[in-house]
Parts: sequence; C-alpha cells; structure tokens
Amino acid sequence: MDFGRFRFFVREVFANLSRNAGMQFTAIGTVAVTIVLLGSLLFVRESVSRIGAQVLSQIEISAYLTDASTDDTAAQLRHLMSQDSRITRITYIPKSVGFAEMRTHMEGQIDTSLMTSNPLPNAFRIQVRRPQSVAGVAARLQRLPGIAKVTYAQDIVLKLLRVTEVIERVGIGMIVVLLLVAAIIISNTIRLTVFARRREIAIMQLVGATASYIRAPFIVEGFIDGLVGAAVAVGILAGAQAELLPKLFAAMPFVPMAHAGVDEHQIVLQLLCTGAALGTLASWVALGRYLRT
Amino acid sequence: MIQLRDVSLVYSNGVRALDAVNLDIAKGSFLFLVGHSGTGKSSILRLMYRELVPTSGQVIMDGIRVDRLRKGRVPHFRRSVGVVFQDFKLLAGKTVWENVAFALQVTGASTREIVRSVPRALDLVGLSHKSRMFPHELSGGEQQRVAIARALVRSPRFLFCDEPTGNLDPANTTEIMELLLRINLKGTTVIVATHNQAVVDRMKRRVVRMDNGRIVADEERGSYFVDDVPALTSQKAGY
Repeated sequence: MDFGRFRFFVREVFANLSRNAGMQFTAIGTVAVTIVLLGSLLFVRESVSRIGAQVLSQIEISAYLTDASTDDTAAQLRHLMSQDSRITRITYIPKSVGFAEMRTHMEGQIDTSLMTSNPLPNAFRIQVRRPQSVAGVAARLQRLPGIAKVTYAQDIVLKLLRVTEVIERVGIGMIVVLLLVAAIIISNTIRLTVFARRREIAIMQLVGATASYIRAPFIVEGFIDGLVGAAVAVGILAGAQAELLPKLFAAMPFVPMAHAGVDEHQIVLQLLCTGAALGTLASWVALGRYLRT
Repeated sequence: MIQLRDVSLVYSNGVRALDAVNLDIAKGSFLFLVGHSGTGKSSILRLMYRELVPTSGQVIMDGIRVDRLRKGRVPHFRRSVGVVFQDFKLLAGKTVWENVAFALQVTGASTREIVRSVPRALDLVGLSHKSRMFPHELSGGEQQRVAIARALVRSPRFLFCDEPTGNLDPANTTEIMELLLRINLKGTTVIVATHNQAVVDRMKRRVVRMDNGRIVADEERGSYFVDDVPALTSQKAGY
C-alpha cells in the first residue's frame, strides 16, 4: 500500500469516528462499563474461589482403623493409600496420640482426670489435592480392609463445592450477557455510521470497491471503540484497585481475597483484547446486512 | 457488444419489470432508451451494471455473462462500466477533484494513477478550473459533468446514463448531451435512458422504446415518438 492509499484509508476511518461522535461515545462507554463489570466480576469470582479453596484445602479425612488392627495393618494401609495420586498427606495417629490430643482439646471444658480409658481407635488423617476428590477418596478408603469408619466434613465440602460451582456458572452467565449487550450496542452504533454513510457506500459499490475495502474502515472503527472502551475500563479498575482494595483488605483481614499471585499485566492484556475483539466482532456483524451487492 | 437474451425481471413483490427482452447493442454505439416511468428503462440499465440479476434470460457484455458473475467478481466488473444518475450522486463534503478521485481511491488505485487520470477526466468534461470547488458551489450541469468525469476516470467501455438531464435546464441539457456525444466519439458505448423528447429528437440516434417491460420499437436514427406507438395512447404500465 503506498502512502497516499494509507492516508486515504486513515482519513476514512477518522471520518467515520468523528461523524457520529455522540454514538461513538456511547459505544466506548458501553464497552468501558462492560469491561469494568467484567473485571469486578472476575475479581469476586477469583476471591470466592480462593476462599473456597482455602477452606476446602484444610478439610481432612479421618479414617479409623478396626480395633483388631495392628501397626502392620497400619503400615500396609499407608502403603496402599500412598499409591493414590489424589492424596497429598497421610498422618498416622495411634490411639494413644489421639487420646492425648483429645485430652488437650477438652482441657478446661470437662474434668479430664475422669477420662481414664481410651475409647479411640488408631486412625489416619488424610489430605487430598483437590477438594472435589474428597468424597471419592473417602469412599475408596471405606472399602479398604482394616478401616472401620471414614469421616470428613461432608456438609461443608458439599455446600462449598455447590456454592463455588453456582458462582462460577452465574459468573459465566453474567459475563456472556454483558458481552452480548455490549456487542449489540456497538453493532447498532456501527449501523448508524453505515446508515449515515450509505450514499458514500452506494457510490463505492457503484464504482467497483470490493466489499472488504468498504468494510475495513468500519471494522477498524469497531476495533478502536472496543480498545478505547477497554482502556478506559482498565483505568477505572486500576483506580479502584489502588483506592478501594487496601481499605477492603484492612476491613476483612481474615478473608483471602484475590490479590497476591495475580498477573496484573496479563489481566490488563486480556481485558484490552476482550474489548477490541468485542468491537471488531460487533461491527463485522453490523455490516453483514448492509453490504450486500 | 451488449446482448440481452430473453431477459425477464420480476421483483420480489411480484411486479414484472421486464418481459422477454431481446436487445443487441453494438460496440461504440449511442442508444436512447425511452418510455414512460416504470416501463423498465432503469431496470435494463441496472441489469447491465449488475445491480440486478434477471429472473430469466442472459445479459452478455463483451462475451461475459454478467448475470452469472459471482458476487466477488462484481466489483471488478463494475470498474469496466461508468454510471451516471439524474441526482448526480456526488459527495457533498468532497471537492470536485476528490469526488472524481474517490472512484479510483476506493478501488485501490495508486497515487500516481490518480494524479494522472483525474486531471484527464476533468479536462474532458471542461472542469479543470473548478477542481477545488465543492458540489454546492457548482450549477446542476456542472455537477452532472463532475459525475460524468467520475464515471469516466477509469476509461470504461460502457457508460450508462439514467435520466442524466432530468434535473437540468435546456442549456445545461444540451451541454451534457454534447459531452456524451464526444465521449461516444472516443469509442465508449453510451446508453441513455431519458424522458427528454427534445434531446432524443434532435440527436437522431438509435432509439429503443419500452412499454410495460417490453421493447415496442427499435429505430436507427429514431425519434421520441414512433408513429404506430404514440406515447399518449400507448397502454400505461400496469404498476
């Protein structure tokens, strides 16, 4: 492309952008609001999933051995369990240790001197890699010979898993709806620009401009709308992060919110790409109907 | 050479615009299409620059089946024809030069080609001295000359004019028709759809008369009215 052609193309794009300044503002604003909501939603989702993961990671499975079990049985069981890749840690608690722990727990609550005989069996405390596999591991342990009973915080695990799953799904649903609404608004903006330039487009078609040539400035317009909107949103989110997050952390020091370990550059890049892709796609759809020869 | 073979055109609303039209137009000729409004003159032109596709029949231009052109080939085909309308279709925000150059720019012509071709087209229509003016600063006749320059800037083989003098006074009309004749003398096939009786009668060129989507008369060196099909008594189009 020689310089004259490039200059003409850039002029066409800016003519498009300036012609409907009000509508461009609407489109950019819509993308910005969408991306801000998207960013906030991702933050909440990440925080909730971290809280859930932290709670769930602390959940242990207790496997109580039969009264007849010996240290050999325990050793065999440990060997069997260590072959399960889902299990990360196995701690053997002989009945005497368990009893001592119980006494320490109960200290001050009851008269521990009355606890003369040990009712506890030998036990294993097991931690798993993923909270989702707690139930499966527990069920398998239950079937092992020498294991009398397996317990874990079933209710908490199930509820937390369900909550995180629901939040995950609602989050995805909201993201889809948000993106769709933004796409429709951008699409309509581009349609208005196309409508405003229909005379020019008709002449272009008449003199033999190809569909892709006619389409290009509008696609670039959508791309710029999306990118600028996303950049505005990233600015707002960065401001919010700097101003609000420290206060939020200070107010809830015990809640592990999404902050540490997040690659901010990558998130910024993802949000900018989302905005640009949204704008480009929306204008592509908008043009389909108008540019039939 | 343009050939229309049994061309019929029925619009999506059921209106039959053309009914089994057969027409041969020799290369380099000048032809008037006359008839009432709605008799199919514009439809024939639109078939020729492939804005419409016939419902049946063939449209052949220089051996190319225009009716069968794939969508992607249409822009390239359009570069070989020029079209002029009654309402000029100029871009108000662009100067005379820019309006003419636009036809080249949007088809990806190089700057060198634009700088070479635009002055030539403006010179042909006698508007070189007004190249920096905007359409609203020109008379109707001058605006139509700009439109003709834009149509000619690619040196097309065919020039289609749909009521080119419909908005012009007699003096401007004469000017435009003389310009079209000059263009024709340079070898471009010119087809003019018109209502203008005086122009048709004065120029003594081939006249094809349309009525109700059919060709009802075709005369070399004809006139607007044909003896056996007087306009006032001919059956009015049914739509």
